[in-house]
Amino acid sequence: MRTEYYFRHGAGGNFSHDSLLRSCVAVSNMEERERVSETDRKETASNPELERDADPNVEEEGEDAETLDVCSEHFNPLRALYAPAAPPLPFPNIKCFNNVSDYESFLKGGRGRAKPENVEKKRRKAMKGVADPERIERLKKLMVNNPVAESEEGESSSSSQPRRRRKQKPLRNVLTRMPLCKGSPLGELYRCVQERIRVKVHIRTFKGLRGVCSGFVVAFDKFWNLAMVDVDETYREPLLGEAIYHEKALTVSRLFEKLRLQEDPGAAEVGEKQEKAGEPKETPEDRSDRPAESRGGGRTAEPGQSESAADKRDEGNVSQARRKYGKVHTRHINQLFVRGENVILINPQPL
Amino acid sequence: MVVNSIRERTIAENSMVVLLQGLQGEVTTVDLRNECTARGRVLNVDAFMNVRLEDVLYRDRQGRRTQLQDLFITGRNVRYVHIPDHVDIMETVQNQLAKIHRVRNFASEGGGRKEFSKKTK
Repeated sequence: MRTEYYFRHGAGGNFSHDSLLRSCVAVSNMEERERVSETDRKETASNPELERDADPNVEEEGEDAETLDVCSEHFNPLRALYAPAAPPLPFPNIKCFNNVSDYESFLKGGRGRAKPENVEKKRRKAMKGVADPERIERLKKLMVNNPVAESEEGESSSSSQPRRRRKQKPLRNVLTRMPLCKGSPLGELYRCVQERIRVKVHIRTFKGLRGVCSGFVVAFDKFWNLAMVDVDETYREPLLGEAIYHEKALTVSRLFEKLRLQEDPGAAEVGEKQEKAGEPKETPEDRSDRPAESRGGGRTAEPGQSESAADKRDEGNVSQARRKYGKVHTRHINQLFVRGENVILINPQPL
Repeated sequence: MVVNSIRERTIAENSMVVLLQGLQGEVTTVDLRNECTARGRVLNVDAFMNVRLEDVLYRDRQGRRTQLQDLFITGRNVRYVHIPDHVDIMETVQNQLAKIHRVRNFASEGGGRKEFSKKTK
């Protein structure tokens, strides 16, 4: 009884004074006090409940639950706020917010706005402990004595630890530079490399066209140096001396025309007509006249020059079987490297 | 095996000269700008495509053959280099690039030889 008394007065502020007087009170007293306070609280708690139960009796029965039910139409928020216990929630583990704007910013993604980099950071943080297969593959490649490692990496991974740190710089060599050209004419050439499109490469002589190389490009660089395979070269060695001034510039069509005429002397007349028709101006044309003349000989003759004429007739002079001067030749080369300086243009062949 | 100058190494690494450098030791034909051809064993190719050949059969425009022990061709005078059939272009380029890569990293890791004795895997 005495303890009860003290408790009630303790609420009023005299507690400290009393506790000094009762400082020598045994622990059991304090325990009792606590036990009493518990029962006290229960008593006080039960009172409003009784009151509460009394209230709805005034109102209609059955509405009580509805007014406190958050999901119902008759939910009374003011009532729920003053209710001693929290209203029953359909989702007990629900996140609690302090106000509406709190809820709004939560919807938008937490502390900052949901920028893509923040989202990415969050995702990565969440995935921190989880093993990333891509990362594992990368690390595997750098490992020594790993059969998976490629030749390049394998050779350079003798001390992989410092290498890995240094390897931040992207690798740049002729092969990596090939795809970088996208968007430029060399990018178009790279497309031909990738799609294995046959190309015609026009090769130059000191002045004008030498011939055409038809093949597949395997690799190239910024100087237009080409590595080609399966090359068919059609070319004519440049004329010497006076001939250069007298003859019409060699073009691709003329080149192949000459080749055709060489191979098939009978077609010379037809060819000549075609050529004449194709050309608007009627300049004294050595080249086109000669095929008609040399029909029997089967070779494109030269404009009259003593030196070349002598060379032509005098085949026994040179040790090997000499190629006739001014002829168009064809040859096949399996793998060829072309220096870029000699390239006039590259023509991907129609698909 | 690889050139000593960093500048040359970088030039070579970023151009197709590496393919020709990979042909060192092979017997090839080099077609020149002046319509001559030289067939011989490639001793050395530098970043500017200067080629050194040995045991060369040099054929001039007229077709005359000449035997030469040593021939140096300026890079600018090269038109074609015939690549032997048994050589794989991509593989050769990749091997050459790997060698350059190795040499570069070997030098840059401070001490070269020291690395191998001290460091463990």
